[in-house]
Amino acid sequence: MLGKNASLSPERQTWVIDALEDQGLGARVREVWQYRRILRFFSAKSVQALYRKTYLGPWWILIRTLVPLGVGSFVFGSVMNVPSAGVPYFLFFLIGQVPWNCFDGPLIRGSRGIEVNRDLLTKLYVPRIILPMGQMSAGLVEPVIIVLVMIASLVYYRVYDNVWYVPLRVELLACVASVLLVMVFAFSLSLWTSVWQARARDVRFAVRYVLAFWMMFTPVIYPLSTVPANLRWLMNLNPMTAPIETFRWGMLPGLEHSWGWFGYAVGVTLVTLAAGVWHFARTEAITMDKM
Amino acid sequence: MTQRWEVTPRYPGAGATLVEVWQYRRLMGFIGDRALRKQYRRTVLGWLWLFINPLFPIALRAVIFGALLGVGSNGLPYFLFLLAGTVIWDVFATSLNWGTRALEMNRDLTSQIYHPRALLTIGNMTPAFLNLGLKVGVFALALAYYSIRDGRGYLRGDWSMLWALAALVLAFLLSLAFSMFTSIWGERLRDIRFGLGQLLSVWYLLTPVLYPLSQVPPEHRDWMLLNPLAIIVETFKWGLFGVGEFYPNALGGTAAGVVLLLTGGLIYFARTEARTIAER
Repeated sequence: MLGKNASLSPERQTWVIDALEDQGLGARVREVWQYRRILRFFSAKSVQALYRKTYLGPWWILIRTLVPLGVGSFVFGSVMNVPSAGVPYFLFFLIGQVPWNCFDGPLIRGSRGIEVNRDLLTKLYVPRIILPMGQMSAGLVEPVIIVLVMIASLVYYRVYDNVWYVPLRVELLACVASVLLVMVFAFSLSLWTSVWQARARDVRFAVRYVLAFWMMFTPVIYPLSTVPANLRWLMNLNPMTAPIETFRWGMLPGLEHSWGWFGYAVGVTLVTLAAGVWHFARTEAITMDKM
Repeated sequence: MTQRWEVTPRYPGAGATLVEVWQYRRLMGFIGDRALRKQYRRTVLGWLWLFINPLFPIALRAVIFGALLGVGSNGLPYFLFLLAGTVIWDVFATSLNWGTRALEMNRDLTSQIYHPRALLTIGNMTPAFLNLGLKVGVFALALAYYSIRDGRGYLRGDWSMLWALAALVLAFLLSLAFSMFTSIWGERLRDIRFGLGQLLSVWYLLTPVLYPLSQVPPEHRDWMLLNPLAIIVETFKWGLFGVGEFYPNALGGTAAGVVLLLTGGLIYFARTEARTIAER
């Protein structure tokens, strides 16, 4: 740790190595801010790791994102006839995938934050909370691609079917809020999972596992209105339900959603975040020692 | 008594590989056991994963696709329908997963002692059979439950059921054929394993496991039949329950394709294994 009284004069460098004076939350946040440039390094590293050592290079990411979109919308829309809130199922599917992928990808990547930087961590100090944060960036590549596909398909429907499905209105801001919310939620959860994953291998399988089934219990590929009315509160207890329904409500006119449940999701996220920072701060030193 | 050891080069070729695999067959159990140990070392839940892995997804999928989204199931209880489809799909997918990792997982063994490498690919698939056994057990329980509840036997109980067995064998042979290629590639390229997972999840959606083939819009159905797994899965369900359709021509084509691919795979494996091992 570079202490407060470290001076970096051109002639002589003095390094003062001391223990953290202040372990509190404020000190943590300040420290992350001081090291913000290294966050960029970790972000770039994690994005490169997506396609490094593959034959197809960056094309690989594109294929990996686009093929499941096509296949998923065909199977769920054409074969299973899942209802789609009055828009073509493909569009409905894409709209659901955007906020879900802003959660799913960052959480999977963020969980690996400490694990993948193991060799680096044993050699030098960085505020560890930066690691899940930087690693999360890799998970944001897919949602960006999906948004681009969504815009392209909107243009397609405008040209060929002469309908513009997503009007420009104030409610679009709710979409931004939902996306931010799920990203913060993913970060808060990765504060727990990245620590566990550095310790046990199966956390990695478990995270993917839980996420695959979490998605099924979240109205991503189907609208919440498919669920019987007396069970909707149960679905809404899942803090991912409200952001996704709100995102859809902001995009497509004539849908329903509840700000009350959105508030609940915000509450759950804030509690998870606070508890996550506390858990991370408490366990990081022990975890590093055990590595 | 003195033992004479003769060190000679191995006779190359696909046939010799097969003969050798048979000679070393007793190593199979050892390799399977090793694979399982390696997979679950340093995990918290350990062996429990063996049970969670196959059973948890089936239950959740049955709730979402059967109860909530009301996907069709050819008149069977959806859970039973899904379970049958999952049994046959997983024979293919899990063995392919394990087979692909065979050479990469056993690197330390390969660099120390000689053994037929093709045996690694086959032996590494044995955990998939453990998985199959578990699911067949659950299937039998579910079958008994639904038969008693509805007062009718769902199985067809005649000689046509042998087709289900044939489908099972075919699914395994197909994954073996693919593994002959993918285990070599997986040894050279790390991302084959991750790519395989993603390929399999897309393939799973395109195979009538979650839904019956009859629910696919007619204009797309012929395309679906190009997928060998679709035919294998449909034949399996037709053989077990007599629901869906039987496609004799497509099944014959698939079987011929599997035999061809397996032969090609063995030849490919026999020709490249030495180079793959030496090059790393």
